[in-house]
Amino acid sequence: MSTLEELKEVIINGDAPAAKRLTEKGLSEGLKAAEFFPGAIIPAMDEVGRRMRECEFFIPEVLIAARAARGATDILKPLVAGDPSQRPVGTVVCGSIKGDLHDIGKNIVAMMLESAGFRIVDLGVDVSPEKIVEAVRREQADFVALSALLTTTMVNMKAAIEALTSAGLRQKVRVLVGGAPVTEAWARSIGADGYGKDAVAAVELARQLAAHV
Amino acid sequence: MTSRERVNRALQHKEADRVPLDLGGSSVTGMQVDTVYHLRQALGLDEPGTPVKVLEPYQMLGEIKADLMQRLGVDVVGLGKPTTMFGFKNEGWKPWTTFEGTPVLVPVGFNTEPDTNGDILMYPEGDRSAPPSGRMPVGGFYFDAIVRQPPIDESRLNVGDNLEEFGPISDDVLDYLRSEASRPYLDTDKAILANFGGTAFGDIALVPAVQLKHPKGIREIEEWYISTKTRRDYVYRVFERQCEIGLRNLEKIHGVVCDKVTAVFVTGTDFGTQNGPFISPQAYHDLYQPFHREVNGWIHRNTSWKSFIHSCGSVRALIPDFIDAGFDILNPVQCSAAGMAPGELKKEFGDRLTFWGGGIDTQRTLPFGSPDEVRAEVRERLRIFGAGGGYVFNTTHNVQARVPVENVLAMYEAVREFGQYQSMSSSGWQAAS
Repeated sequence: MSTLEELKEVIINGDAPAAKRLTEKGLSEGLKAAEFFPGAIIPAMDEVGRRMRECEFFIPEVLIAARAARGATDILKPLVAGDPSQRPVGTVVCGSIKGDLHDIGKNIVAMMLESAGFRIVDLGVDVSPEKIVEAVRREQADFVALSALLTTTMVNMKAAIEALTSAGLRQKVRVLVGGAPVTEAWARSIGADGYGKDAVAAVELARQLAAHV
Repeated sequence: MTSRERVNRALQHKEADRVPLDLGGSSVTGMQVDTVYHLRQALGLDEPGTPVKVLEPYQMLGEIKADLMQRLGVDVVGLGKPTTMFGFKNEGWKPWTTFEGTPVLVPVGFNTEPDTNGDILMYPEGDRSAPPSGRMPVGGFYFDAIVRQPPIDESRLNVGDNLEEFGPISDDVLDYLRSEASRPYLDTDKAILANFGGTAFGDIALVPAVQLKHPKGIREIEEWYISTKTRRDYVYRVFERQCEIGLRNLEKIHGVVCDKVTAVFVTGTDFGTQNGPFISPQAYHDLYQPFHREVNGWIHRNTSWKSFIHSCGSVRALIPDFIDAGFDILNPVQCSAAGMAPGELKKEFGDRLTFWGGGIDTQRTLPFGSPDEVRAEVRERLRIFGAGGGYVFNTTHNVQARVPVENVLAMYEAVREFGQYQSMSSSGWQAAS
């Protein structure tokens, strides 16, 4: 089994120390940082997504795999960023919306997007529309991904979209929304570009949209 | 028919005069304080500006006083420990204003001083010399835990560290429960829903232990979920010891509250997400069910109490295991989650499980629908879940902030109008099909 194949397996099985070790081993064997994504990390997280969809994996298994993938990406990200020949699939500014301190769902989506080759700018929780606008401008983002767990905070997603419009940035980014009370109809009603019912759907959607950016 | 008889009939899967109603019987069947204020105002129960007490500071649940219960026809009262989730007592009331501008009363341990950015921070036991354990973001409605996770050293991980909040019940608390159970039992005809604490295994809302000043062990949310797999033995041993302590406490508690209690809230651990179970059915079976079985077994062998499980989300796949573990009551019955259609649940499990909740979707219809939509949904849920008993009306989890008061009124009007068993049969309604 090649190092990349091995890395894929250990990520799926959630072995973070092995993921770090194999990433370093691959680099020492001469693999380029960018090769790890299509060769191991993306297929590993695709497999995690498939197992989640088919009820073989549940939240703990996904978190464990995501942590293992992070072990690899933490080593690779600075190397990819320093290589001018490499461009991310897209840059995603993400966060839990203003007033909302819940972030498990947001963290899973961010990790899955990162593993799919997106550059993630995670603004954390309780993120105001102003902070989103500022980050989109600063990072030249292609996507904004917003999460809400509460009916009282999901309304702030609309304010964020309006702030992007006022700042003249709305046409430059695709806005994706998700979270327990959020529905496709709600996403449409506030003028978002897409809704993911779970992390797998969010990644699929971002990939589809990225192909058209 | 008294409220207690009405609830008992429902729990025996028999129809009463009407479907019983819970509001405020537990910390998952209540109403956020701003909404309680607006409801009381709309019903003309208070002069404008009359504050409402915050009885549960974490979720900012408002007091459901006897006059409101009377007005709505509420059949259930809650019984719980004398301290709040943050570890301070509900005493020494002082005025405060929520971010919505609602006048409320909060206990003296509740910090009302805003942080530099305007957030409200809450402190364990109200002790401001300890690191804060809860945060309500400026403009927010509820608190969330501030996780205080000490560095984890695998070689020094000690099961006792995750058990600090579980211990033998004190004589003071037993005295409190004795008198608090007697009062509603003797002075009212309400059914008592008790939450004594200590029997929820791995409830993620409780894992950060916001009442502890310096929690040890595994306290971070992601770390906890991961540990249920990677440190399975550790978590199992925490549950094992917690269960032993919990059973000893239940025995003492039963000695003082006896059979005045109708139902007991055993666990609020969430096992469902919007789309499916949070954990695998096998993980439920291996890690949680043994302890649920022990607690419920003790309850059924020694008391007349019915056992209540709260789990949000899509738990259809786990319901047979819940029943097998000895639960009698399921809450909040989140019908908006995958596989949780009311008719299917009633048909498949209605003879073995009492549904307590599911009366209206609090994520969509109640906050964002029209009064007519609220009315139609409540009518439909009463028809389906109410058939043959085995149903206590409650919203799907607490009524949240910013719910239009017209919708709240429409909901309770519909409960009154369509919750009568007489009216169900006279309009030709049949048992759920």
